[in-house]
This record gives sequence, C-alpha cells and structure tokens, in this order.
Amino acid sequence: MATATRYMGRPLKRKEDPRLIQGLSHYVDDLRLPDMHYVVFVRSPHAHARIRSMDTSRAQTAPGVLAVLTGQDLGNAVGVIPCAAQLPEMKLALRPPLATERVLFVGEPVALVVAVDRYAARDAAELVEVEYEPLTPIVDPEKALARGAPVLHPQYSDNVAYRWELEGGDVGAAFQKADKVVRQKMVNQRLIPVALEPRAVVANYKPGENKLTVWSTTQIPHLLRTQIAAALGVPEYIVHVIAPEVGGGFGSKLNVYAEEVLVAHLAMRLGKPVKWTESRRENFQATIHGRDQIATMELAVKRDGTLLGLRCHILADLGAYYQLLTPLIPTLTGLMICGCYKIPAVRVEITGAFTNKMATDAYRGAGRPEATYFIERAIDMVAAELKKDPAEIRRKNFPKPKEFPYATPTGLIYDSANYPKSLDMALKKSGYRRLRAQQAKLRRQGRYLGIGLSTYVEICAMGPSSAMPAGGWESATVRIEPTGKVNILTGASPHGQGQETSFAQIAADLLGLEPDDIHVVHGDTAIVPYGIGTFGSRATAVGGTAVYTALVKIRDKLATIAGHILQEDPQRLVFRDKKIFLKSNPAKSVAFAEAVGAAYIAKALPAGMEPGLEATHFFEPSNFTFPFGAHVAVVEVDPETGEVHLQRYVAVDDCGNVINPLLVDGQVHGGIVQALGQAFLEEAVYDENGQLITGELTDYAIPRAWDVPRLETARTVTPSPVNPLGVKGVGEAGTIGATPALVNAVVDALAPFGVRHLDMPTKRERIWQLIRKFKPTGSRPATKRVGDGRGRRGRRKR
Amino acid sequence: MKLQGSYTLPAKREAVWQLLNDPQRLAECLPGCEQLEVVGVDHYRVRLKLGMAAISGNYTGSVKLTEKKPPAWCRMSVEGQGAAGFVQGEAKIELAGEGNQTVVRYAGEASVGGLIASVGNRMMELAARRILEQFFANLASQLRT
Repeated sequence: MATATRYMGRPLKRKEDPRLIQGLSHYVDDLRLPDMHYVVFVRSPHAHARIRSMDTSRAQTAPGVLAVLTGQDLGNAVGVIPCAAQLPEMKLALRPPLATERVLFVGEPVALVVAVDRYAARDAAELVEVEYEPLTPIVDPEKALARGAPVLHPQYSDNVAYRWELEGGDVGAAFQKADKVVRQKMVNQRLIPVALEPRAVVANYKPGENKLTVWSTTQIPHLLRTQIAAALGVPEYIVHVIAPEVGGGFGSKLNVYAEEVLVAHLAMRLGKPVKWTESRRENFQATIHGRDQIATMELAVKRDGTLLGLRCHILADLGAYYQLLTPLIPTLTGLMICGCYKIPAVRVEITGAFTNKMATDAYRGAGRPEATYFIERAIDMVAAELKKDPAEIRRKNFPKPKEFPYATPTGLIYDSANYPKSLDMALKKSGYRRLRAQQAKLRRQGRYLGIGLSTYVEICAMGPSSAMPAGGWESATVRIEPTGKVNILTGASPHGQGQETSFAQIAADLLGLEPDDIHVVHGDTAIVPYGIGTFGSRATAVGGTAVYTALVKIRDKLATIAGHILQEDPQRLVFRDKKIFLKSNPAKSVAFAEAVGAAYIAKALPAGMEPGLEATHFFEPSNFTFPFGAHVAVVEVDPETGEVHLQRYVAVDDCGNVINPLLVDGQVHGGIVQALGQAFLEEAVYDENGQLITGELTDYAIPRAWDVPRLETARTVTPSPVNPLGVKGVGEAGTIGATPALVNAVVDALAPFGVRHLDMPTKRERIWQLIRKFKPTGSRPATKRVGDGRGRRGRRKR
Repeated sequence: MKLQGSYTLPAKREAVWQLLNDPQRLAECLPGCEQLEVVGVDHYRVRLKLGMAAISGNYTGSVKLTEKKPPAWCRMSVEGQGAAGFVQGEAKIELAGEGNQTVVRYAGEASVGGLIASVGNRMMELAARRILEQFFANLASQLRT
C-alpha cells in the first residue's frame, strides 16, 4: 500500500486563512453569554512589599459589583500556581493565586472585582484600598546572589533557586592543552512575548449538570483542564476546557495562570458566567517573559581552530515565582550549549536566581536561542582571535554527516544532519565570497558592511516522555463519518501554526482524498482525546505522527473491508481519487465512501471485524529531533548615527521532510522577525525599584514591516529517523538561528572600530558610543554617512 | 524623578504661608482635589482625581509636614496611590518675600510605581510640572481675591 504524496510537500494555502482574514473566527473575548459578569484584577504597583491591610468595603458597594475578593477571602478554595519542573535541590516558590501577605513583583494580583460590565469592575477596582509597606526590591540577578542581599522568599537563606551542573569529557585537560582560551560574558536580555491576542478566560458553571466550561486562550487545553481540576479540588470530568481560535502564543500560553484558575473558581462560586480579558499593560506585567540569562563562555581552542573544550556559567533570572516550566528553560540552554560542533569536553553550571520580576518561562525557542547565541557569538570570537574566516572555523568543527546519530558530551543524541551542506548552500546563496570582497572595498570608502553567520542546531519535537516533565507524546483520533468525510482530532492544539491544513494534507494522501474532505478538530477537551499541546516545535513531528499512525490503522481496516468487497488481497490495494482499487488493475475498484458505508451498515464485514471507523493513536517518540541550518545576515552600520540597516537575510533551514513549504516559510519568516526584535530592538527593562518601565508598546519596540528586508529562504532536507514522516519541526528555528547571525553581522561591521562584542539589543546609541570611544592605533577609520541620510529608517524615533 | 522650580505669588509671604496652611482654601487650589481632610497636626488626607492619559484615575494619599519654620520654609512627605500606581516623595518648600510678592522655591524627589512608572514614565515629569503650574496659578488667584 504505497502512499502517493499528492498533497504532502505541496504549498497549499492555509484552510484557516479565509476565516481569519475575514474576521470570521472566534476568540475567547468574542464570547458573550447571558448574564455574563466581568473580572478586573487589582495588581501590586510595588515590586516588593508587605501587605499591611486591604479594605474592599467601598468597592463592595460600588454600582454593579457582584463580588470583591482578596486572597484572605479565597482561603484554601484555590490551590497554588502549578510548576511542572523538578530539579534536584530546587527550592519551591509556591505562589498563591492572589497575594495575601507579600507581593513580589509589579503586576502580582492582590484582589479581584466581579461586576456587571468591565467598566463597573474597573471603577470598583480603584476603590480597593491596599496599604503596602515597601521592602527593598531585588532587581539585578547578580546583586540578588551577593552576600547579604535581601531575600525574596524568607523561608530560604538566599535567592538561589537552584544550581544545575553538567559535565562531559575531560574539561581540565582540554583547557590545559589549549593554545588559546576565548572568554566572554554575554547577556541574553529579558523579552516580552507580546502575542497579538492577549490572554482571556471565560468560565461558566451549570450546577444542575455539575459542569464547568472554561474557554481560555491556551496552547495546552488538556493540561489546563487537569490543573484547574487539581487547583479547585473537583473531579476532572466536571471540567471542560475549550481553546477556540488562539491568536499567537509563542510559549506565553504554554502555562497555567492564576487568572485562569481564579475565573474558573468564580464561575462556580458566584453561579454566573464570568469573563476576564487581559489588557496589553497586564500582558506586559503579568504574562511570562522570556530569556534573561547572563552567560560567561570560555572556549579552549587549538591554533588551527579546533575546539577542545567549553566552560559555561549561566545566571538565569527566573523572576519571583515559577510558572509552569520556569526552572527548566535554562537547562535546555545547558544541553544545547555545544551547538553543531564537536567539542569533546564541556562543563556547564547554571544558577537560577529569584528577583522581584515576573517569571521567565518558555518563549519561542525556550533556552535554545540563548544556547545558540552564546556558542555562535563565541565561535565568531574564536575566528576573530585566530584571524580566520568564521565560515571555516565552523566547518572545521562540524561532526561529519556519517557520524550521525551523533552523541554530544551533554548527553544528547542528534538524530540526523548534514551541516556542511546547509553552510555551503547559505554561503553560495548569499554570495559570501563576493560579500567579503565588497566589505573590504567599502571599508576603504568609510562604509561599514557586516556579514554575520550562524550555523545552528536545535532540539525540538518535544519529546520523549522520559525527558519531559509531564508527557512527551501526542494523541490523534481519526474518525471517518458514514458519508466518507474524515474528522481528525488532534491533541496538538494550534495557536496559528496551521495544523488544520498540514494534517489534512497527510490524511488526504493516506486515504486518497482531497484536503477538503478532511476536517481537523482541536482545542476542545470534550471532543478530543487527552493531548499535550503545541509547543517546542512538536506539532508535526509528534502530533502529525500520531495522526499518521492513526490513519495507517484506519486505512488498514478500510483496505480489509475493500479487499473483502473486491475479493482481493488488501495489501495490493491503492487509495487514490476517492477510490480504493487494485494496483495492477485500477478498473477493479470500490468507491472510498462505499467502503466506509460498509463499515457502518455492517451487513457484509469480514468475519470478526468491529463495525465503525475510528482509530486513536498515542504517539511516543523515541528521541527529540534536531533541526539545523545556516543563516547569513548582511548589515550596514552608519558610523555617524549608529543605525543598523539590515540589507539581506539568507536562511537555509533543514527541518527534515516538509509537509507544506508555505507553512514552513511562514514559520521561518516569523521566527527571523522575532529574532530581529531581540537582536536590534527589544528589551524588557525593570528600573532599580523593580518597576517595569517598558510597560507598553510605546516603550517596547517590536519589529515593524519596514525593519525587515525580503527574506531569502532555502532548505536542505535531511529526514529524521525518529518518526515515520521524517519530519523535524520548524516553529522555533528562526528565533534560534537568526539572533546570532544578526549580532555577528553588527559586530563584524564594527570590527574596524575594535569592537569585539556588543550586547543585545544593538541600539544605535550604544553603537554610536562605541565608534566614538574608539582610539585607533593607526589612522582612524574613515566614516561616511550611509546613503543620503534620508533612509527609510530615518523616520523612526527609537 | 526630581522636581524643582519656583513660582512668584502676588502676596506677602505671611499671607502665602497662611494660605498653604488653610486646609479648605488649599483644597480649592489643588488640581483635581475632591477631598482634603485634616487627620492630625500638619497631616492631611487627600483624594484627587487626575485626568491625564496613562496616569488618569482616582488617587488617595496623605501629606505631612515633617519640619517647618513659619513662614520661611517647610519640609513635607507625600504619598499617594490609585489604580494606576503610587507616588512617594519628599520636598522642601521655601518662601522668600520680595516686596509685595513671594517667591516660592520647591525642590523634591519622588518615586513612582505601577502603571504610572511602566507606561507613564516618559510623561511623568511633564505631568507633575503641569499639576504644579496649575496649583500655583490657583494659589495666585486665591491670593488676588
């Protein structure tokens, strides 16, 4: 039974898009239920304070108010915010859903108001009086660890959340043998995910049926359901979670938030449907942040550029409390710190620090963008130190294609790769040699072109359950209706990835149907069997493989039925053009719908066969997958203003087999743009008092269309042996691969000014200062204004 | 946030001092003041309603004179909070008589938190200046009547 790939691999337009671009899809906030009430949270304006008293009496009597609740009022009705991560000797930091005694970050909720509309709720929230006694805020993670620093969680003696170590190979010997050791401290700054749709929750409880329905904009409806049941102490079967259209997540909705559990509780407590929609300001303060690691990298190298050893210390600023995966994210950085290089000896030490900030957690890439940034910057420094081409240093240290599966000293098995091939393609596509010649020529004219490379590998398709905090498998059910139409129920609940299209492509090929015959259902725990969710670039490799395997089961059953009808060997049948026919004689066929009908009418089934047509598969992968690629960024830095102009961006990615190249390109584009945000623009800044002073989109610069040149994408295809589809995953590759390429390009452009490193975001004022500070040993490099000074970026005031 | 400046009022300094220590008249001069209540010696509770973009909303707070030398100078501590955050600060106010006029010099430092800090920080100083200008203008018109 060969599968014809008529749809897999084709750039089908997304089935989701017509409803999205016509405004016909429904997000949580679009939901309106009769007698719905609205929740507003009262949040701490202090980073660190003791709550002296709370007075809700005026708010209670405000017009339209149904309830005002503090943490005291809740008592034990709602459990603590869950954290799935467990590391050895990790300190617990249990967070009550509403703070009762102390507040530990700006934006931490202390009370809530429920009223007939959101305006009444908001007005009443202002009447809640909270008296705080400010305590010393702990903002800088390095100072948080200093001796004598004030302690966030008074039950502990310091602000160390955990220490984590990893060692492979003989690190001491590697550094002794080294001709050179390259050292650099680097900051991977705190970012704010800024999903287009902020968080929103609606809950409705029907006491007669004892049924609690929760609509939430989440990436993990089933896990949320389990956690709501646990937090409220109710049987899981009364809880029904629906994730309708979800407008982006990037990991920020891979979580269980206080607001989700509280809104669910309110619906039960008050007997009214309740809604909470996050404001953008709340989204900045109280939805998880990403990154925030300070690394000290040391690479031991031989004079010829061979890497001998790596030492890395990472200080991770975790914020005040853990969210779902907070402590785990930096360990992914540790595991991937070798990148795509053979480094025989590695030592990684991670210290997680508590500070008076919002928790960090998984944000697109989750630990791997940090690892890639640190190693790719360090490799460029090695090249500069040894005066070698950064492309050649990389190539020299790649494991060879025949060495795969390749075991790293950090204990991972990279599944499959051909690193030289993607590097060669990126160099060729960008015209690397010509670019270098052009760079030399322009420098003589006082213009500063920078060429940045990044060769990355990442870990995704999460993952085998043994390596995951709570299940690494994914579920799929294929249910064929009596009319021959196909439902695919997937636990990989999407938030913009396009599974409705890609899974339909897989099903169309396997069953010989058209994608329009297939309907992909997700995000509803009452319909879809238990699933894990969409994150860690797992939807296709794990969720898609579950779909594939369930399809194979159902196809085998259909082939048996068709074989019975045709009196032929099922093994010799082909599914195509809505027919099931004999491969050697296509005229001998049965219509797909007829075979399906036979399964339901059940009058002429093969002996012993169950009626009906439904198959479920829970797919457990044997390993992660390791996509890779090579990116080239070309920038020009204006030495007069410090502005960075991104001129070209070439991305060669390898995510294994491709189901839909349009979806892959979309993921790569989006990832690169988010990486550009981190490299050039974005930075979540808390001031010395722990106030988030980049608290809105006016002060937090995400990329705009004019920041992005036409992206030149290409692919190599190295199938993964981990799953039968041979797919790897591509959702995060852009943010993982692109950030170092962009910063390497900026540093390369500034090399004539003696710049060796520059932390992100590479802001123009910082570049301008570095150029001004430069004291040349010879003649000062010439400087010339880029263009005519009226560049398109000149209009921006940032 | 640091604030300092001066304003010339059209009265002798004793009159200015009196006005500044008269809760009812002071309340009329404070922009957005909805209530000013005396809670102790040189200690007031204030309710303000401000209407400026990110910092708009209702605020409650207290003003306390921590040190004074009538009619020459005083020091005060101020704290206030509302839905948009909090303000805490200290200031010194000096009155210098110049003929029939009085020059009021003020210098203070305040820290802000919450939304005021996160979304209003760039306009805070401007907003504070505008509120002070309005306050002094109100004082001046009180003194003229």
